[in-house]
Amino acid sequence: MKTLRLSGVVVFGIVVLCGLSGCGKHAEAAKADPLLAAYDSEPDWTDSTKIIPLGYQQAQGKRVFYQYCVWCHADATPAGPSNRSNLTPVPPLLNDGATLNAESDEFMQNIVTLGGSAMGKSAMMPPYGRTLTAEEIRSVIAFTRAIAQPPYQPPGRPGSQYSAK
Amino acid sequence: MPAEEMGKVTDRMRFVFAVSSLIFLAVLAISPFKDYRREWKQYKRSYLRFAQGRPDTKRLTADYSPDIDQIWLPGMNVVDRCTTCHQGITQASLADKSVPQPFRAHPPIPHNVREWGCTICHRGQGPATEVAEAHESTLAWEQPALPIHFIQASCGTCHQSDLPQTPQLARGRKILAELNCQGCHKLQGIERPAMLGPDLSSIGTKVSREWIYKWLKDPRTIVDKDGNVTVNGYETEEEPRMPKFRLSETELRALTAYLSVQKAKPLAPYKISPAVVATWSKNPELVSQGELRFRQMFCSTCHSLSVTRAGETKLIGGDIGPELTKVGSKVNPDWLIAWLRDPEAYLPHTRMPKYGWSDEDLYKVTQYIAAKLVDSDLLTNVPKLDPPTDEEIQLGRRLFTEKGCASCHVIQGISPQRDFGPDLSALGGKNASELEFGAAKIPHNLLSYIQAKLQDPVSVNPAARMPQYNWEPADLDAVTTALLSMKGAPPTSALQNLVVPRKDASFHPTGSFAEVYERYKCYTCHKFNGYGGDLAPDLTYEGSRAQRQWLVEFLKNPQTLRPTLILRMPQLNMSDKDAATLADYLSMVMQHPSANPATTDAKQFTPAMATLGKQLYEVKYQCQSCHTIGGTGGYVGPNLNNAGGWLTAAWIEAWLRNPQALVPDSIEPRRNFTDEEIKALTAYLMTLHAGIKPQETATLASSHAMGQGASR
Repeated sequence: MKTLRLSGVVVFGIVVLCGLSGCGKHAEAAKADPLLAAYDSEPDWTDSTKIIPLGYQQAQGKRVFYQYCVWCHADATPAGPSNRSNLTPVPPLLNDGATLNAESDEFMQNIVTLGGSAMGKSAMMPPYGRTLTAEEIRSVIAFTRAIAQPPYQPPGRPGSQYSAK
Repeated sequence: MPAEEMGKVTDRMRFVFAVSSLIFLAVLAISPFKDYRREWKQYKRSYLRFAQGRPDTKRLTADYSPDIDQIWLPGMNVVDRCTTCHQGITQASLADKSVPQPFRAHPPIPHNVREWGCTICHRGQGPATEVAEAHESTLAWEQPALPIHFIQASCGTCHQSDLPQTPQLARGRKILAELNCQGCHKLQGIERPAMLGPDLSSIGTKVSREWIYKWLKDPRTIVDKDGNVTVNGYETEEEPRMPKFRLSETELRALTAYLSVQKAKPLAPYKISPAVVATWSKNPELVSQGELRFRQMFCSTCHSLSVTRAGETKLIGGDIGPELTKVGSKVNPDWLIAWLRDPEAYLPHTRMPKYGWSDEDLYKVTQYIAAKLVDSDLLTNVPKLDPPTDEEIQLGRRLFTEKGCASCHVIQGISPQRDFGPDLSALGGKNASELEFGAAKIPHNLLSYIQAKLQDPVSVNPAARMPQYNWEPADLDAVTTALLSMKGAPPTSALQNLVVPRKDASFHPTGSFAEVYERYKCYTCHKFNGYGGDLAPDLTYEGSRAQRQWLVEFLKNPQTLRPTLILRMPQLNMSDKDAATLADYLSMVMQHPSANPATTDAKQFTPAMATLGKQLYEVKYQCQSCHTIGGTGGYVGPNLNNAGGWLTAAWIEAWLRNPQALVPDSIEPRRNFTDEEIKALTAYLMTLHAGIKPQETATLASSHAMGQGASR
């Protein structure tokens, strides 16, 4: 009888332990690794203390912008001076939200692809549809949206009412 | 227990049996509950709830199954269960940032996610079905997920030639090559060049023992709180290629003793003609004339000088050769003259061209260097060094190999070292357990290890022989990315077939052109068929682009109209014969197949066509937004004032048809011109003639390209 009672206690102990481990959190939440947060980024043109984080597509857009567009759509270029002040009409800065936020993605895609004259704007904007891929042009637009000042609000964007947990 | 009670069932036993049965039942019930509560199943269910709240529920749930999803690519060694939770990864409608993870779509990338899986780029544990197990980077998992900041490393594992999409990786590889890391380490895709550090066989004829002492003690001297490096007393953001070795006083004395007696090729002083010396030595203009020649010859394209402007001291000039601010206090004056006359005689494989010197120029320039590029305080902190003793020399000779100097520097009689440091060609695939962390208080993973080792080699291994570097944060990350990409030979043959190898370009011409090409070291700055430097324009198709007569004139007198532009083609004082040899070869051989100047008939261009071309240029296409003609226009593209005296008609036509076919990374957009428009524009451009040489005026884009080539 003594052995039975003893084994009963042991079984009960095992059950309690199983139950406890089943209810407990399996793994602690991963500690924040600063490197994990270090996405590609762009310093804010209007506020040098602010860093704008970029996703993959925007980072690719940044690369294309600094190769092809920066010469006329920024006041400072990797080479120093800019060609922007040389042009009439003066092209918008890429982060000029007041001008560009109002334009639809389709318009932006078209003016880069087909050039200014096709869209009723200045012919000084050349077409890049035969030089850049459609994906590269989309990425430049994504970059434009990311750095816009004031910030870009996509029209009719579904609110994030849903949470995974 | 009495015998008669054996086999009898008592109430107490029944009770115990009932209780334990209930307990076992409870245990059995917990098991399905735990299974139901599994992390991945929760994500599965919440995806369903999430999809129901979206307008395109049907499409989002078309492939839904309540089980584990798996991408299995046997040829690639990939078993990825990531899509079990990342269920919306290929759903275009879930690309928006407002979509919560793990359901957001993957951004568009050149590879199909279903075809390649996830871990091939992101690393991590593909078969894991729990969040922490799959991604964790703090636990010592074999392959923690790669932080996005370093993701380009994964591109580089297969793409060993550089891609435009991976600038960070390309920069890292470039730094590794330029800092001569391959001198001590085996690196995947980075070969040893013919020369790493300079040959020191005759260093004793060039510099003093005291100067060597100062250089060895710390080529960088000081790093201030802003991370600026002070080299020989002035600040720069660039580092010398020579890193800082941790040397004791005895070791310094021994190495300097050994090096200062290296005089394999005795110096044969050159006598500048006494007539020149007599004319110039008393002339008060001597030094300023020397400085003028120094500038006119564009020594600053490769060498920098420190300049103080508005209280700020900066290095101005290129970095192909060493900076020269205090070179007059560094080198022996006789050695300097001998060097300038024939660099290759002292240093085989040098990138310094052999200029055509007149005695007058040589005297003026060397006198300028001796008068202006000096600092009497340069060696003040160096202790008094007595003539080297035999013991010091013997110890120095031993240290030269023990410290790894022979990995990068050649000295006659010392066999060159190979693989002095560990093989790093598979470092990026190493597990944490294979690394030595020492007492360093850093997370035990590969990424932290690489960064700690690069920043402070002693922190992870007190006996490390690796020298000390000083990194800009962005460069540290770039080099880390490049090292992470090196995972050695791919494990499976399917993966081996995917590797895009680095192009091994070489260009070794023969004949009289080769002799001139080698003498002027054209390849130091220009590329020929993919081989050479990237400071100056690629000359692979120069024969199609430029007219022969223009080439001759340019080579004879590559003067710039903008003295502010620092990095310019040096004036090599070329003879007529050399210029003709180079121009003939470039015109005949360096041609693009679709732009042959010989087949284009110049007579076809009529004034009417040129008039139409002018209209197209100015009104329809507004080329003046980027190009300048006659003082008006933009400066993104080259100045076209002398297009007709510079370019060939065949090149202009081919260029207008498709610029990227001729220069793949040209930023000039490819337009949809008709044939008639192309002819008209060509006719117009061919009418433009001016004394101004178009390549010599700065363009924004090309000076940027030059700046990039020059940086580091």
